[in-house]
Amino acid sequence: MTEAPKDIDCREALDRIYQYLDGELTPVRAEEVRLHLERCAPCLAASDFEHAYLRFLEARSWAQKAPEQLRRKILEQILFEGNRSGTK
Amino acid sequence: MAAPSDDKPRSFEEEALPHLDTAYRVALRLAGDEAQAEDLVQETMLKAYRSWHQYRPGTNVRAWLLTILRHTFINEYRKRRKIVAELDVSEIEAWTVFPAVQDVDPEGRFFDSIVDEEVLRAIDALPDEFRETLTLSDVEGLTYAEIAEITEVPVGTVKSRLFRARQALQRQLYDYAVEMGYIKRREA
Repeated sequence: MTEAPKDIDCREALDRIYQYLDGELTPVRAEEVRLHLERCAPCLAASDFEHAYLRFLEARSWAQKAPEQLRRKILEQILFEGNRSGTK
Repeated sequence: MAAPSDDKPRSFEEEALPHLDTAYRVALRLAGDEAQAEDLVQETMLKAYRSWHQYRPGTNVRAWLLTILRHTFINEYRKRRKIVAELDVSEIEAWTVFPAVQDVDPEGRFFDSIVDEEVLRAIDALPDEFRETLTLSDVEGLTYAEIAEITEVPVGTVKSRLFRARQALQRQLYDYAVEMGYIKRREA
């Protein structure tokens, strides 16, 4: 880490909160948010709430699967195409 | 170094088909109903198969498939979508919900009372570009870089769309939770 983390204000911290929670910040930018949250109770509370929200979205049963007949149709199509048209 | 023709169906089946469920879920959110989603996925897979020689092995096959899916949706299916986007994302300001719940439910427990169907309904009410960004991120778990590649916008645009989509969705779910009595609206 060549760059040292800077002090950031609440606006900056909250601006980055989703990127922070998504793990999309560089280590230095993430450290700046972490340090801010460590000493700012209101921002920490807001961050916890957003974290709970993202976990809720993540935990929903998005397990909808493609219908079996769709899978079969596609497989048949591929075999048909494959035999008909070769590599192209 | 073209592969023997016999390997094409097999390599497609092994590499592309495992992403069929992802393609279907994304298609459902884009197209808005099951029949359209099935047609969209079928067409996507056929196009993908026909251009399988353009896919470079070892690169991101899921992103490649979703890019084809998205183009197919925009060109042929978007006009047929029956559900109209009704959430106004432009009105969304930062942190509209947390200040309202911080005294009564700062941990957001009310979210857990909301059923899946309601969440999906709220996602479906987002405008196209916000709905697709949120779906790719929060339903399928793609990274910002992958979403940027698929939706053909800079990563900065993905960030801002995701921010607004999440906040608009959160607001919608909060209003629903209030309406259902899962949480008390804070007195103004």
